[in-house]
Amino acid sequence: MRLEKCWFCSSTIYPGHGIQFVRNDAKIFRFCRSKCHKNFKMKRNPRKVKWTKAYRCLHGKDMTQDSTFEFERKRNRPERYDRNVTAQTLKAIPLITKIRHERHKKHITERQKQGKTKQRERDAKELEQDIQMLPKKDTMLSTQKTKVVVKVSQQQTEENLMEE
Amino acid sequence: MGGKCPHRKVKKRRLSHKTARRGKFLVKADDAVYDELVKLADAGKDADATQLPVDEDLPGMGQFYCLHCDRYFASESVKEEHYRSKRHKKRIKQMSGPAPHTQLDAELAAGMGMPDNGLKLMSM
Repeated sequence: MRLEKCWFCSSTIYPGHGIQFVRNDAKIFRFCRSKCHKNFKMKRNPRKVKWTKAYRCLHGKDMTQDSTFEFERKRNRPERYDRNVTAQTLKAIPLITKIRHERHKKHITERQKQGKTKQRERDAKELEQDIQMLPKKDTMLSTQKTKVVVKVSQQQTEENLMEE
Repeated sequence: MGGKCPHRKVKKRRLSHKTARRGKFLVKADDAVYDELVKLADAGKDADATQLPVDEDLPGMGQFYCLHCDRYFASESVKEEHYRSKRHKKRIKQMSGPAPHTQLDAELAAGMGMPDNGLKLMSM
């Protein structure tokens, strides 16, 4: 039950999913879904397709350097079984996952902070420039003066009462 | 009459059966060519300096070979002509660029560390 990574989009391939292409020099290409397989057959470069993990890491949109990445790696040498170490590892896995998610979230927040700052500056500048276009106080006062009070005649009231 | 696509005009692109498409699969892929070029560069050699084995099944006994395009030529003059072609120059530019994408790149991007190959075994 080994979990592999897609050659194109770097997402996890669970057992029973995806497709695998073995080239005639015995190099293996794994794909998580036909979307990635088709892109590969069209000879597209994952570094230039914006929805792939390779693109996002290359352009600084995802976290690339973190110590939690060292826990997950391909181990080409089997480890000797140790009951205590296994128990500790199983206990630590949820904690490591949580820490990784927190750091990833923090990285994205930090990355988007610049954009928010620039947006705020832009808004302030726009307010400063366009404040003149708002209606002035005198106009509002003159508008209020033109209001006419309409009185309700009593005859209508009497007619309603008689009808009832 | 099989394998022809009626609305494709160019002759060599109308065919879809295996025999016609086999040539595509025999050409080395980008990463294989790139690896060989890197290996030659590490050894301090040029692509033309390597000694090629004699093979009677190949054109020109397999002595006139372009590594970038993975093609064999019948003679030196034909190979020189090929070196001046646009396709070859495009290939050279492509191979001079960044390394092609590999499974290792995909895994590093997915958040995995470098592969752990364990301790080095004692060499005999």
